[in-house]
Amino acid sequence: MTTTPLDKTSALPLGKSGLSHDAVYWIGFCVVLALLIAAPLVLSEFWRRFLTEVLIWGLLAMSSDLLIGYTGIVSFGHSAFFGLGMYGAAGALLLVSPPNLWLAMLFGLAGAAGAALFVAYFSTRLRDIYFAITTLIFSQIFYVIIFTWTAVTGGENGLIFDRPHLSIPFLYNARFTSTTMHWFVLAVVTASYLILRRITQSPFGMVLQSIRENEFRTRAIGYPVQRYKIVAVMLSGLFAGLAGVLYAIQNEFAAPDFVFFLTSGDTVIYNVMGGVGTLVGPIVGAGFFQLVRQLLAEVFGDQFPYLIPLGIIFIVMIIFLPQGLLGFARRWLNK
Amino acid sequence: MSVRFGGLAALSDVDFELGRNEVRAIIGPNGAGKSTFFNCLTGVLRPTRGRIIFDGEDITGLPSNAISQKGIARSYQITNILPNVSALENVRIAAQSRRHGWNMIAHHAGLRDINEKAEAALKSVGLLAKGHELASNLSHGEQRNLEIGIALATAPKLLCLDEPTAGMSQAETEDTKELIRGIAENLTILIVEHDMQIVMELADRITVLHYGAILAEGTPAEIQQNPRVLEVYLKT
Repeated sequence: MTTTPLDKTSALPLGKSGLSHDAVYWIGFCVVLALLIAAPLVLSEFWRRFLTEVLIWGLLAMSSDLLIGYTGIVSFGHSAFFGLGMYGAAGALLLVSPPNLWLAMLFGLAGAAGAALFVAYFSTRLRDIYFAITTLIFSQIFYVIIFTWTAVTGGENGLIFDRPHLSIPFLYNARFTSTTMHWFVLAVVTASYLILRRITQSPFGMVLQSIRENEFRTRAIGYPVQRYKIVAVMLSGLFAGLAGVLYAIQNEFAAPDFVFFLTSGDTVIYNVMGGVGTLVGPIVGAGFFQLVRQLLAEVFGDQFPYLIPLGIIFIVMIIFLPQGLLGFARRWLNK
Repeated sequence: MSVRFGGLAALSDVDFELGRNEVRAIIGPNGAGKSTFFNCLTGVLRPTRGRIIFDGEDITGLPSNAISQKGIARSYQITNILPNVSALENVRIAAQSRRHGWNMIAHHAGLRDINEKAEAALKSVGLLAKGHELASNLSHGEQRNLEIGIALATAPKLLCLDEPTAGMSQAETEDTKELIRGIAENLTILIVEHDMQIVMELADRITVLHYGAILAEGTPAEIQQNPRVLEVYLKT
């Protein structure tokens, strides 16, 4: 208790020198952010929208990484959280006039939180593959409800609505352009990243990682593991719902296809391709996946069965790059 | 403090009491019920009959996280640590379980009270210099000691050690013995151990389990003289 050679800065795991790591990290962060801010100014309309959507899928994948990479549980239910965020936003935009951006977010988050609480409460009683299957089944319940309750959700056709204005009370109010839309999405995704990064580095985040490493021992040192998992699933669901809200605003529709479990499967693939447990890896994974898909469509046409070559690429990556694209930087990114 | 307990097929009507600051060893042949006893005590198993009273409170059947919060910590026979984080992180996560567990805002390495506790726990198991090593890179003996460090970091009132020297070399065993002697000064310790030398040197009293029942109980000297114990255990 008297000597403390492990002071605060050197106490970071495997730290060589905390300062230079932080400096390099934040410089890298600012460079990437600056590039993403500048991107819509040089990209064509098509690629601008493409990049915005990559960011949205990236946010969905990143939310799932909190569970896959940090808590060690794989959710196949993220389509439900994404979808509820989407339909929540749709509800706010259709019911309230004039449509309000922030209200859409609030409704979307509330919808996702409700779905997440429902899924989390039941699925966290189980572990491993049983957890994954339970999240999948419960998310499909939401799909069936949305698909069949035509009076409210529009059923198969989904809901179509107008994009709200980008409004900051008393300061700014204008129609979204594809450029301001991109910046808005970028701001939300960046803020989400910083919040998620903080959460994973907090004492709470360490408990999640402890659950990933050794669930039994985590319980034995005094943590109510199931409660931590419920909160982790809910947090993850909130960010997934946020991605759904952004997607709804970007595309001005909500469709049941996105609540189907294929969306959850894509989310897991983004994580594996980009590198789990890195937060930014899943965004890179989503970008890589969408880019390859788009390039295949450019070369071979829209009808090309892009999933076949993508599946082969995925298998090759799992064999030769099992950590994903950013897996090599995992320890560094989490420092 | 009293621990009363009876019941399983593996353990029948074991009536057991442990005094504060006592170092008690439990010995017995394989299958005598030592591990089952530990598992019941730390909430891994629920006794079918009987009660466990700790510090005047009935803790029978509580889940292991609640038992930990009451002040009973345990180290494991088979090393049970978090392999992919540093040794310091292992004890720090244990230390923050008393409070801060739900804190999502602070940086985990920036909490002074937790760092002090974690470092104290590492120091008392002689691993302070290796705090930044990945736990999986530590030697077997060091991992065994880290195991004790994790238990200590939860600031327990009662520490249960399940074969702390299992698989250790002679020199490591010697170190661990000194280490346990050090922490025993102000802690109640329950220890299951096969190494008779350690048991005889460290324990204030010894309980001998045989086929799930208490065969004998007494000071190390008494146990060594007990003809029934000699018959079933020491001779074999």
